[in-house]
Amino acid sequence: MPVYNRTVAAITLRAALGRKRALLFAVPPLILIGVSALLRLSHPADPAWPARILGDFGFSVVLPLTALIIGTSVLGAEIEDGTIVQLLATPVPRRTIILTKFVIATAATMVFAAVPELVAGLIATGGATRLAVGLFVGALAGAVIYNALFVCLSVATTRALALGLFYVLLWEGVLANFVGGARILSAGHYALALANAVARDPALKPGVNLTTSVVMGAIVTVLALAVAVRKLASFSLRGDAA
Amino acid sequence: MTSVELDSVSHWYGNVVAVNDITMTIGPGVTGLLGPNGAGKSTLLHMIGGFLEPSRGRLTVGGSPSWRNPDIYRQIGIITERDSAYGFLAGAEFVRATARLQGCPDPAAAARRAIGLVDMVGPMNRRISTYSKGMRQRIRVAAALVHDPEILLLDEPFNGMDPRQRLHMMDLLGRLGAQGRTIVFSSHILEEVEQLSGTIQVMVAGRLAASGDFRAIRRLMTSRPHVFVVRSGDDRRLGAALIGRPAVNGVELTPKGLQVRASDYGAFSADIAGLARDEGIRLRELLPADESLESVFAYLVTS
Amino acid sequence: MSADATGVIHDLGYQRYDGDRLGRAQIVRTLTVYSLRAAFGLGRGAKAKIVPVSAFALMCAPAIINAFIVARGGTRAFPYDTYSAPVRMIIMIIFVAVQAPELVSRDLRSRVLPLYFARPLRRGDYPVAKFTALATACLIMVEVPLLVLYAGTIASSHGGGAVWAQTRALLPGLAIGLMWSVTLAVIGLAIASFSGRRAYTTGAVAIYFFLSLALAEVLIGVAGDGTAGARLGGLVSPLTVLDGVRQWLGGTSPGPVPAVGSYGAAYGVMLLALVGAGAAALAARYRKAGLA
Repeated sequence: MPVYNRTVAAITLRAALGRKRALLFAVPPLILIGVSALLRLSHPADPAWPARILGDFGFSVVLPLTALIIGTSVLGAEIEDGTIVQLLATPVPRRTIILTKFVIATAATMVFAAVPELVAGLIATGGATRLAVGLFVGALAGAVIYNALFVCLSVATTRALALGLFYVLLWEGVLANFVGGARILSAGHYALALANAVARDPALKPGVNLTTSVVMGAIVTVLALAVAVRKLASFSLRGDAA
Repeated sequence: MTSVELDSVSHWYGNVVAVNDITMTIGPGVTGLLGPNGAGKSTLLHMIGGFLEPSRGRLTVGGSPSWRNPDIYRQIGIITERDSAYGFLAGAEFVRATARLQGCPDPAAAARRAIGLVDMVGPMNRRISTYSKGMRQRIRVAAALVHDPEILLLDEPFNGMDPRQRLHMMDLLGRLGAQGRTIVFSSHILEEVEQLSGTIQVMVAGRLAASGDFRAIRRLMTSRPHVFVVRSGDDRRLGAALIGRPAVNGVELTPKGLQVRASDYGAFSADIAGLARDEGIRLRELLPADESLESVFAYLVTS
Repeated sequence: MSADATGVIHDLGYQRYDGDRLGRAQIVRTLTVYSLRAAFGLGRGAKAKIVPVSAFALMCAPAIINAFIVARGGTRAFPYDTYSAPVRMIIMIIFVAVQAPELVSRDLRSRVLPLYFARPLRRGDYPVAKFTALATACLIMVEVPLLVLYAGTIASSHGGGAVWAQTRALLPGLAIGLMWSVTLAVIGLAIASFSGRRAYTTGAVAIYFFLSLALAEVLIGVAGDGTAGARLGGLVSPLTVLDGVRQWLGGTSPGPVPAVGSYGAAYGVMLLALVGAGAAALAARYRKAGLA
């Protein structure tokens, strides 16, 4: 069964990135790179400062928020506009539609969050250190898991962005730091564990071990996409006049 | 096989029954789905088009169910009421993209043909967001026709069209129907349905109130009196003779002629010929006064 | 069928309204009340209430926990001026990010602004009404938990002296809450008024507040304690600016911003600049908006 449809991809790219929205995703990574450069020039007192800016800001905030905006707009905007009907009224398999949009969202997140994370890492640590590369790898994994979650959320509910915000800010931002159990269900921690496997930096504190992270990350991704496909296959239009 | 079959199909949203136990077969040609707002026409069309699951009953298009069956869209073209075209694409790009999604072997040629059919060749390279409402509707019809479907479903297709565009669209749909395609369109505007379709399906409050040729439907309603206008050589004498017949409920002399209200269409038709001959009155004109769909509709809705 | 060419206009008893016409003040008042209700999802379906109600519940949670702690003999668990800082900051970000678009982006999307301005409503009245509504909503979100905290504490305290001490501590906390409400409301609305798509503006507001907060925390963290960097790092984010002003005004509880020392005035100026910029943007936006 085909997994990728070029026409769906082309439409998605133009819809999601061809508007003012694209500016919104360019700003956080630019700030990340800019601040990293500034800090490098100003030699802050804390020797672990690269891990702070790259980890607490870049990895834990820029990455999930960028994935949230991109992940909810590849499908959410079309559903809200009603243009999804045009796509659904064709024999293209629903799985293909979801997977194509997921791939586009993940690629865009990698471009707008993972690559800047690498660039900022190179600047902050002065080269291709383990920390910079590790966080880059982790960001790539994070892009995959987050977008699977947010694409699924977009089909499942109309308030995907608000719920996604609750998840990123509350669940991952607050709870996962205080409640051990919540960490097991945190995509950010899976990605961080992967990053730390390469970086081995004590400043990064993933709360979940590597094996669990890889397994859970894979399960969450596959499950989220499978649910998204099922939901899209059952997409219903309510009668307008009713 | 290009027919749509419904067997006891119902759909409810919570406590509201939008479509109530509808059984019908829609065959080739143009079928009009008529009914007031809220009658369930959109719901029915969405179910036929695979965008809503029947809560009960069986619904098949060309033999297979349309729900959760993306392959069915090779045979169906659907135009929903809500505008669903991508505003940021040009008209031609939109139709071409749809052709590709439909798997047409030569998308560019299919798109050109479809755009030509709806007479949108001039503005086809402009963005859809710059189109007027009627133009958007037409480009969506082009996209729905690009893969040459046997079945075409249109929900209130004439919304927002000016009279000239409407005539053009009606002509197009008529031609497509004459080619043997199954065309179903919904409307609450009587003239549209009357002019375009031979077969109508009348829905009222979710139920199928009447099906078939509208004249035939009218005739079936013998519970209401039929009204005829007769012009003859001597209206007054004819009127006096007619009022004596049991099939006649009332006569009235009007400037246009003799208006006769008959309770039994069949008996009246038989009577009037004989009466006129016996009385020696020449009949000039006999017209039913309320055959139009308007009266059918009004009677169905108010009864 | 009728051949009649004449027409008749029937007398339905239609009368001109000669009574009192309520003026501009009434319109503004009504719009404010309506917007305030919308900020909490009242008057809309159940889905519109999910975010405000759960946010409110989460805001009150620390105060309720405190009531239990104090009843068992402990001391008050949260200060009045910072409340539970991480909870308050995150929840208010989410609340403003989701509800500010509800107030202004919806009207832009459905293009009802010409309807509003075709009434005796001045251009400036609309943003003022919306701001008052959202600021009041934020005030409720911030002050009610403080009051619950207060009530829970004095319920288990003994003697007039203890109650009076609590009251004196509460009042500055309420003033800080007022500052929060005004600042968050004006900035949130200013950002949200830029587009009619709620998802886009919710994202923009959330990103602005949260990103700047995370950045501020990192900057404060990497600069050494007591350095200028640590003292000034909080200027990049409205939430830390609020905290800096709190300290400048005498708040002593620990918060996201370390002791600001002599830079307190800078925070005060920054706060005024942010609020001013937000108000100006909002006013400018509605001078022309809605007619395009």
